[in-house]
Amino acid sequence: MRYLSLKISLLLSLCFYSSYGLSEDNAIREQVKTRDFYNSDHFMIKAPEAEGSPSASGNAQNIDGIRIGAGDDKTGYETTGYETNSVAISARHGKKADLIRVLNEPPLGLPKIPIPVDNPMTVEKIDLGKKLFFDRRLSLNDTFSCAMCHIPEQGFSSHELEKAVGFEGRSNRRNAPTIYNTAYLERLFHDARETTLENQIWGPLLSRNEMAMTSMGQVIQKVKDMSDYDGMFEEAFDGKSVDIVNLGKALASYQRILVSGNSPFDKWYYGKETNAISDQAIRGFDLFKGKGQCIACHSVGQKTALFTDMKVHNTGLGFKRTMGKEPEKERMLIAPGTYAYVMKSKKAIVGHAPMPDVGVYEVTQDPDDRWKYRTPSLRNVALTAPYMHDGSMLSLAEVIDLYNQGGVLKNESGYPNVTQSPLITPLGLTENESEDLIAFLKTLNGDNISEVISDAFSTPVGDTISIN
Amino acid sequence: MNIKKFISKPLAVLAPFVAASVLATNPVMADETCMSPYMVKIVGQEDFVYVWTLGVEGLGDGQDKMVTVDVNPKSEHYGKVINSESVGGRNEAHHSGFTDDRKFLWAGGLDSNKIFIFDVHTDPAAPKLVKTIDDFVSKTGGVVGPHTTYALPGRMIVTGLSNNQDHGGRTALVEYTNGGEYIDTYWMPTDDNLQGAHKGGQFADGYGYDIRALPAKNVMLTSSFTGWSNYMMDFGAMLGDAEAMKRFGNTMVIWDLHTRKPKQVLDVPGAPLEIRCAWKPENNYCFTTTALTSQLVLLNEENDVWKATNVADVGNPADIPLPVDISINSSDTMLWVNTFLDGKTRGFDITDPHNPKQVYEKQIGNQVNMVSSSWDGKRLYYTTSLLGNWDKKAGDNDQFIKLYHWDGTEMTEQFAIDFQAEKLGRAHQMRFGAYSLYGKTAKVEQAKNNIVAMSK
Ligand code: HEC
Ligand code: HEC
Repeated sequence: MRYLSLKISLLLSLCFYSSYGLSEDNAIREQVKTRDFYNSDHFMIKAPEAEGSPSASGNAQNIDGIRIGAGDDKTGYETTGYETNSVAISARHGKKADLIRVLNEPPLGLPKIPIPVDNPMTVEKIDLGKKLFFDRRLSLNDTFSCAMCHIPEQGFSSHELEKAVGFEGRSNRRNAPTIYNTAYLERLFHDARETTLENQIWGPLLSRNEMAMTSMGQVIQKVKDMSDYDGMFEEAFDGKSVDIVNLGKALASYQRILVSGNSPFDKWYYGKETNAISDQAIRGFDLFKGKGQCIACHSVGQKTALFTDMKVHNTGLGFKRTMGKEPEKERMLIAPGTYAYVMKSKKAIVGHAPMPDVGVYEVTQDPDDRWKYRTPSLRNVALTAPYMHDGSMLSLAEVIDLYNQGGVLKNESGYPNVTQSPLITPLGLTENESEDLIAFLKTLNGDNISEVISDAFSTPVGDTISIN
Repeated sequence: MNIKKFISKPLAVLAPFVAASVLATNPVMADETCMSPYMVKIVGQEDFVYVWTLGVEGLGDGQDKMVTVDVNPKSEHYGKVINSESVGGRNEAHHSGFTDDRKFLWAGGLDSNKIFIFDVHTDPAAPKLVKTIDDFVSKTGGVVGPHTTYALPGRMIVTGLSNNQDHGGRTALVEYTNGGEYIDTYWMPTDDNLQGAHKGGQFADGYGYDIRALPAKNVMLTSSFTGWSNYMMDFGAMLGDAEAMKRFGNTMVIWDLHTRKPKQVLDVPGAPLEIRCAWKPENNYCFTTTALTSQLVLLNEENDVWKATNVADVGNPADIPLPVDISINSSDTMLWVNTFLDGKTRGFDITDPHNPKQVYEKQIGNQVNMVSSSWDGKRLYYTTSLLGNWDKKAGDNDQFIKLYHWDGTEMTEQFAIDFQAEKLGRAHQMRFGAYSLYGKTAKVEQAKNNIVAMSK
């Protein structure tokens, strides 16, 4: 049997050094290294410097000994110069925080936390909800807690996946959004289908592609059977043991207290600290209010800002995914700085068809709601990549490009996107202006992130304990 | 209510190991050439192949099982399934490995994190589930995805693939006694805690996958795959998920076998998977292949430092054939490399380990994963399943075990068992069994020619 020699250059290895400030010498060294790796330069192509796909991992950083960002940081993985920046799993230690203090003193820039009359906030409920949030036994085969998708150090979202993966590896069609500041959301989920945090829990608990519990009763019985919860519900709920109502109340209490404000932007805008953000970020905010029209949907108030109008809009993205043509082949990273092309036909052999997603239409059945999604808050947005309902945008730059081009008004065949928001129009932003906008978006990180992560780490992860 | 309460069944009383007069004269020649060097070996005709099989929802009883195939040509059941032991649940059955005395077979579930321990010596024709370790994650401090179960003297080393914090690739090695008592967790070195290991290149990702030991060098080698989210997810969805594609291992770690401390972290980009080490005492090297970049990689020591060198392409890397299982022959001259996506097996002449040459290629099916070789290299068994959600869909989803005879130049198929037609599931890891290992004989005169060697 003959051994086939390499076909030329379907596999590209691309080097992007500009963004890493490597000198030309370093760049050459990196490239040579990659060439060595293949023993062959048939398929080596040096990419133009400007080209480069972004990373959702953000630049992970450690504050107070706490990693903010993925413990397995992949920033720069698109380049041959990528270096790991990993932290040990065994370093998951933290300090319990006094989370409830924000109840009466919300951080600068945020309104008072709305508390349902029938679920007053207590320390007992927060602690109980936190324990539940990290308990993997709340799933059918003990592998999924809420926190497996809403990962504390990854902005209570997941940097590691565009779309969530659940029970037995089943696909989800959407990106796991952050839990920060969900206290203020009037409607939950990307398609705004849910009303309260108390109700919301049953979505993930009972979905067969999330935690896959088979009935409400099964969930309640399972919690009853876990002896480490003995007495906890009774203490938090006036002697009542776990039931479908107070399970929701406990989980909601923990999530509701995870508000995050007093960001550099808040200090500058509401606190009048002139040096709290850079001139570039100030220019970015001017664009956000002005030329960019962002503020029309990502609202900013006189005293507080949630950066969402709570309404639903079509930005063009969902339409493009649904009605656009899938390319015959896609470029794919197969190792740091190394790409290959995968054919659509090949992907179809090893994968199921993508799940449909027509947005709010699925909730209202109104064709005017096709491809509409709820405006997300932009607080902590630098910590919650990848972006949009399907996680398909890995960086803020990609999101701004979508707005700058005026959304997606028609597909390749000219079929129109009739439900796109009239507020989405070509913006004519220059590259510098886009960067200014990004600089502004990066000023929206709350001041309590490392504290909240540390508090989360102080809570043990619930796993099966063998009862011999 | 469904919290599975684990009931420990006592391990069967160990039958005294009777290996007869043919014991242990040929320590380096070995069968199933991927086994631990500490393992008792079958160097003659194997009687059984134990296939760790993934349950498929809607097929048969829908759960994972240890399937026993009779492979002794003198048996009336040759080429037939003779036993199947279901374990409950779909656990993402994956790899399995014997204890060093070869009396028990440990089989891991990458999803449920359970380890199923089968007694294979009381009745080698019918392995029996005798113990289930169901607290792997909590005992180990958060390791997820028990993968390779590898025998050291009196001990089992289990490699993890993931963790309970982000379902990513950072993980650890875990040590158990042969009886299933947890001993310790050894985390893979990460940048913040290299644990004294030397990071030779750009990567210290903390990922894990396979493990092999070279006792003469006091070395263990580990490779790196990916975390739970990726190995569990739909393969097509993963290829389209640009973040998921960044979460593959790019490292191998050299460990001190005695102290279990990492010594060196090597850059091996593209997800290095199976590790196979040469058998001859003078050949202190191993091979791996990288799943995504399709490289055959040589690992050897030069001036007391371990090196990883790409020594050949596997197929056309641009086509991403996806090298999966590999198998080295006992004379260190051939390496079989399976590629999942094109369903081929490729034979590389590795007489010169720095210069492997592909000398043979054969289509095994629409997809192929594992290959297991008899000690003499004449019998090669193939199975098909890679991972429950990575296997090809619909008509391309072949699920079988096939036996081929290899005469040095050509392969000829002997039998095939269709695991879907038999309502069994997805056929994955294969391990060999033989009566002769336990001083037993079958009713038929089949084990006569078997020789048992103990290589220590
Ligand atoms: C398998 C991954 C996964 C698990 C497990 C999971 N979630 Fe989510 N979560 C998601 C995804 C994906 C969405 C968005 C779904 C949608 O919009 O349709 C989401 C949305 C949410 C939202 C809405 C946020 C917003 O901005 O509207 C909240 C709140 C939430 N999850 C809380 C929880 C809680 C509490 C649990 C545990 C009981 C949980 N999640 C378990 C993936 C997960
Ligand atoms: C017509 C209303 C509207 C306007 C105007 C608008 N946005 Fe948005 N924005 C949305 C909606 C709706 C989404 C969610 C879309 C989705 O999930 O697919 C969103 C998502 C985003 C996201 C992703 C957040 C995340 O967590 O995934 C960012 C960042 C963002 N917008 C920034 C901006 C900026 C900057 C501008 C101005 C250039 C802007 N938006 C203008 C409605 C708007």
